[in-house]
Amino acid sequence: MNDFVKCIDLTKRFHVGKTSRLVLDKVNLDVRKGDKVGILGRNGAGKSTLIKLIGGVEQPTSGKIHRGMTVSWPLAFSGAFQGSLSGHDNLRFICRVYDLDYKETLEYVEGFAQLGKQFYDPVKTYSSGMHARLAFALSLAIEFDCYLIDEVIMVGDARFAQKCEDELFTKRADRTLLIVSHSTDFIKSTCNRSVLIYDRKIHSCSSVEEGIEKYHLL
Amino acid sequence: MGSDTTHNRRSALRHANPTLLQAFLVQYRVIKALMMREIHTRYGRENIGFLWVIGEPILFCAGVAIVWTAIRPSHEHGLPMTAMVVTGYIPLTMYRHTMARSIKAYAVNSTLLFHRLVTPLDIIIARTILEIFGTILAGVIVLFGCISLGYMEQPQDWGLIFLSTGLTIYFCLAFSMIIAALTERSDLLEKAMGIFSYLSLPFTGAFVMVEWVPPHYRWILQLSPLSNCIEMLRTGQFGIHVVTYYSVSYILTSCTILMIIGLYMTKNIRPHIDLV
Repeated sequence: MNDFVKCIDLTKRFHVGKTSRLVLDKVNLDVRKGDKVGILGRNGAGKSTLIKLIGGVEQPTSGKIHRGMTVSWPLAFSGAFQGSLSGHDNLRFICRVYDLDYKETLEYVEGFAQLGKQFYDPVKTYSSGMHARLAFALSLAIEFDCYLIDEVIMVGDARFAQKCEDELFTKRADRTLLIVSHSTDFIKSTCNRSVLIYDRKIHSCSSVEEGIEKYHLL
Repeated sequence: MGSDTTHNRRSALRHANPTLLQAFLVQYRVIKALMMREIHTRYGRENIGFLWVIGEPILFCAGVAIVWTAIRPSHEHGLPMTAMVVTGYIPLTMYRHTMARSIKAYAVNSTLLFHRLVTPLDIIIARTILEIFGTILAGVIVLFGCISLGYMEQPQDWGLIFLSTGLTIYFCLAFSMIIAALTERSDLLEKAMGIFSYLSLPFTGAFVMVEWVPPHYRWILQLSPLSNCIEMLRTGQFGIHVVTYYSVSYILTSCTILMIIGLYMTKNIRPHIDLV
């Protein structure tokens, strides 16, 4: 089966006014089923852009992305939610779009995110940790094969870390993960592969340790 | 597949590779979800909430109808003022409101595009339909209000009223797709929409009948699809008391061309949308 995610000669150029900036230049990446890929790189290297391209939020300037498995939306600090709506309204929207059972999803998300009364407040009033909990709960309510995680996982408290451990890394151990993080300890403990983004290219590393070492030298 | 995807309904896999019928069902579902969301973001749950969908256009239509009835002569060119205002302002409100809501419609809704099932076409259709829905309900209320209070006669031909409304909706859908795509691509056009909306008023035919215009200038109004629609609406209202100039085949042809251009532009808009 071709159940992998593949980026072929992916190029992304951003236009700002009259100038344009090349962020990713003909990069290639193969992600096989079950891979846990840690994406490392300095600020502005293009990590989030890569995640957004794979998630289909941004469109590549050229190149192709083959998605042989179902890929989640990027779990990040911005996007995916309407700030003026409550977490509950966002849940209802996602239930309608993905045709989920409302009651079942509500139960799951309330149990996972544990936002209490604030679940009914506008999302823009949430702290980053609460935002992360809602984002995880909602995306785990849909069974994707591949989850794209952009930083958010680090902001949660100890209890949330435990929930993620149970729900994502234990129960869904067979899933594919693409994780952007600056926490090398976290990458070391969860990933079995790492790639480094610098000079607009993706550099694959033979091991997670090697990737982290190179990352410190950047 | 994953170990605990026994909950088939929760599996993301069923959204991959849909058949044509499934794709239509997804689109229907997404548009419905977008409309519900739009109602909540725009009107919230305070006071009359979603009823503002009707409230906004009704204040506009009824307000203008009342003021004009009060301050203008009761008949202009032999036609009753209130009926002229109501038949002109309801289509005009639909046109102006759908246009206003489609300006930069994608940029303000870009967070929705995180979900791959949501497409720009869904966003613009949902926004426009909601606005059309509100205007039509407002129009019905204003029309029956004016008739029952005796300020307006019953329409002579309901068939023409319905047909004209349908064609106006068609025009507004096509036009808002084009405006949404154009304003997304160019900031200059976005800024220019206010003045365009204002300058286009005489060409909508909302304030005049084509017959009042000197014969050698009538072609200008006859080129405007909206003017054609309003002429048809007034034929339905006044019957044989007025001479009107409209062509159903011209409206259908011009709006279909606009619709094709609009769909084509919507299909290609994705790379131009500014994400948050």
